[in-house]
Amino acid sequence: MNTRRQILKVGAAAGALIAAPSLVFAQPAPTRARTLRAVMHGDLAAFDPIWTTANMASYHGGLIYDTLFGIDSQNQPQPQMVQSFNLSDDKLTWTFVLRDGLRFSSGEPVTAKDCVASIRRWAVRDGGGQHMFRRVTDTPVVDEKTFRIVLREPYPLLLDWLGKAATNVCYIMREKEASTDPQTQITEYIGSGPFIYNRGESRQGARYVYDRNPNYVPRSEPASFMSGGKVARMDRIIMENMSDPQTQVSALQAGEIDFLEWPSLDLIDTLEKDRNIKIEVMNQSGTMGWCRLNHLHPPFNNVLARRAMLHLTHPTEIMKATFGNEKYFRACGSIFACNTPTENDANTDWFKAGQNIDRARQLFREAGYDGRPVVLLSASNVLHMTNAGLLYQQWLKAAGVNVELVTSDWGGVVARRANRNPPDQGGWNIFFTSASGAGYSNPVSLAGHASNGANAWFGWPTDERNEQLRDAWAAASTPEARMQAARAMQENAWNYVPHVHYGQWLAPSAYRANLTGMIGMPELVPFWNVGRAG
Amino acid sequence: MLAYVIRRLLSTLIVMAIVGIFVFLLLHLSPGDPAAIIAGDNATPEQITGIRQRLGLEDPLPVQFLRWFGHIAQGDLGVSIFSNEPVLKLVGQRLEPTISLALTTLLIAVTLAVTLGVLAAWKADTWVDRLLMVVSVLGFSVPGFVVGYLLIYVFAIELRWLPVQGYTPIAEGVVPWARNLVLPSVTLGLAYVALIARITRASMLDVLAEDYIRTAKAKGVANQSMLLKHALKNAGVPIVTVIGIGVALLFSGVVITETVFNIPGIGRLVVDAIAKRDYPIIQGVILIFSGVYVLVNLIVDLSYTLIDPRIRY
Repeated sequence: MNTRRQILKVGAAAGALIAAPSLVFAQPAPTRARTLRAVMHGDLAAFDPIWTTANMASYHGGLIYDTLFGIDSQNQPQPQMVQSFNLSDDKLTWTFVLRDGLRFSSGEPVTAKDCVASIRRWAVRDGGGQHMFRRVTDTPVVDEKTFRIVLREPYPLLLDWLGKAATNVCYIMREKEASTDPQTQITEYIGSGPFIYNRGESRQGARYVYDRNPNYVPRSEPASFMSGGKVARMDRIIMENMSDPQTQVSALQAGEIDFLEWPSLDLIDTLEKDRNIKIEVMNQSGTMGWCRLNHLHPPFNNVLARRAMLHLTHPTEIMKATFGNEKYFRACGSIFACNTPTENDANTDWFKAGQNIDRARQLFREAGYDGRPVVLLSASNVLHMTNAGLLYQQWLKAAGVNVELVTSDWGGVVARRANRNPPDQGGWNIFFTSASGAGYSNPVSLAGHASNGANAWFGWPTDERNEQLRDAWAAASTPEARMQAARAMQENAWNYVPHVHYGQWLAPSAYRANLTGMIGMPELVPFWNVGRAG
Repeated sequence: MLAYVIRRLLSTLIVMAIVGIFVFLLLHLSPGDPAAIIAGDNATPEQITGIRQRLGLEDPLPVQFLRWFGHIAQGDLGVSIFSNEPVLKLVGQRLEPTISLALTTLLIAVTLAVTLGVLAAWKADTWVDRLLMVVSVLGFSVPGFVVGYLLIYVFAIELRWLPVQGYTPIAEGVVPWARNLVLPSVTLGLAYVALIARITRASMLDVLAEDYIRTAKAKGVANQSMLLKHALKNAGVPIVTVIGIGVALLFSGVVITETVFNIPGIGRLVVDAIAKRDYPIIQGVILIFSGVYVLVNLIVDLSYTLIDPRIRY
């Protein structure tokens, strides 16, 4: 009897111990109808959207921070936190005045000092910011609400960078956080955006909770991408980290979640048959599959071998193997991705002609390929990369190339791709990755568009003309001039071949049909403006 | 007895130290770079090197190991590379779901398995025995995720009796807590049921062949009393042993079950950390798991003295 009582006591104590953390954190929650539960493409591993380029950190930033400018659905920057702005006659001094009533969720007013500190920190990490700050001489604070950016030469892209949606986004933080070394993460997440991060209700790796910011004053214009009125119609947004694709779909069907950013395409048929679910491609510029070549070592230190890769690549086979349904992928010959403002068809005869293994074999021969193994790095935990590895292996073999396919998880690929040694000493020749179509469309901000040798992105291409054309694009002051520069850049790029694309895909999102006001845009999933019917 | 317990506890520390060295070397010598993952795909090699320096990953391996070991010796498991949160806090947040899942699984599995095992032994070589053993083979051989998806489809999607996924803390009500745990516990427990039921059957068959059982039968002891009072207690040592060994099975099963049912437990914490190469979390959790495993085995060893008074330490 004593033993039984002891067991009961121990059991009760264990129960209390288990329950203790939940009792401490328990708080009244908004109703289910006023709560949106979303499963995004990954986990919010890090919270500082300047420290990391991870899209999840940018989504987090979009909820809690605001931006000075925001792009609209025409990709034009519109004032967001800024009330008014002007450019001096010599086009060297921009002056910005903040809106009235802007406050951080901590209650402090947003000041010009906060903005300047935020811009400076962002500019250290972001490709566009770095490009811009090479021309910035000063960022004086005029008064509480006014600051300036002073340039040494005119820079037409300035507002585009301040309002862009692609990571790193120029989110405005308090001066306190914005003064943190850009290589170090901030530890407090206080913004002036439409939602507040609820740290107490969040669980790292499991769910992230955002409550409506009652002090946020939205603009009066209708919401359009990153611009206009960011009206929080839900009291709470919960981003659940749910990794299993089947469970994600089941949870959406059962109404346990409302939004699924990237449902598995294997399961999309099931969702399409469900009347309670809506399927929509939110990001029409999609994602590009990217075959990156190492310019430091043979055979791809020879331009003819790189050109061979253009003829070797089938424009849709990898997409077909990975995504199946042709609704969700397309061939794309533009180096700036398709359905983007910089898409063009300059120098794409090789693309229009389609795959030509014989021509590729001939070019490898002309390049003096000597039969040495070509090392392909493939990530076995990312399906399009796995398929790219297998198909490129097959195509290269058909073209007479000796191939060594090295598979690991994505973490293994990102570690090895940084190795500049020859492939037989731990280096590589080819790796596969992806980037958003919107990111690709920008010749300056995407690191992969640079060809500045040792300072370039992995693969380290060198091409002076490419760098001149990137600067020409940034200096162009009209859309027509920019397109002309983009065409020239593409003409040149497909001659020296910095890398190769293997298709563009449009990942559909799925959400409960009773959600209203979803804003589909590239790079970000905005949860402002979203409500629930009924 | 006390000396034995102290000796075993000291050996736990040695085991954890060996596990710690092994895990540290395995992680740091295998490919992968958390700095590259943090920096994102658009980062330049220089930016990645900057982050590696900040994280101390550019230091020689022995320096990194001594730094980590120094913290461990002070009871500090470190800080997550990604979230900046202390590992102990992250583990603390994940304890309740994992302990709940493990306990409910053990409860369901042991109750069901021992009942089925005793029944199979009692009805040995009959259709009942064969049916139960076929079911246990199935339970052992069908992967947990397949069982999980089937249960979700039937009980959550079609019948709408139980939730698909998630976890409700017990503080928010015992009923919602239990509703969330039914399907994962059954999924996780199935293999466990099969294992324990088979051991129970075998052990019971040995005991039922003993002379004292024949004497009990001759004296007219009722079946129920003979099975539960006379036979089961004496068959207990191997059953408790296999339950203890099964805790390791439970640990690996928890990882899959927590993923399929989206339970924010320690299993998911470590899987996510492995994908991101979040070294402090992986090292911390594996150290804790190894300590728990050794302690469970100690408890199992000590429980022998309750089951069989002849055993003394």
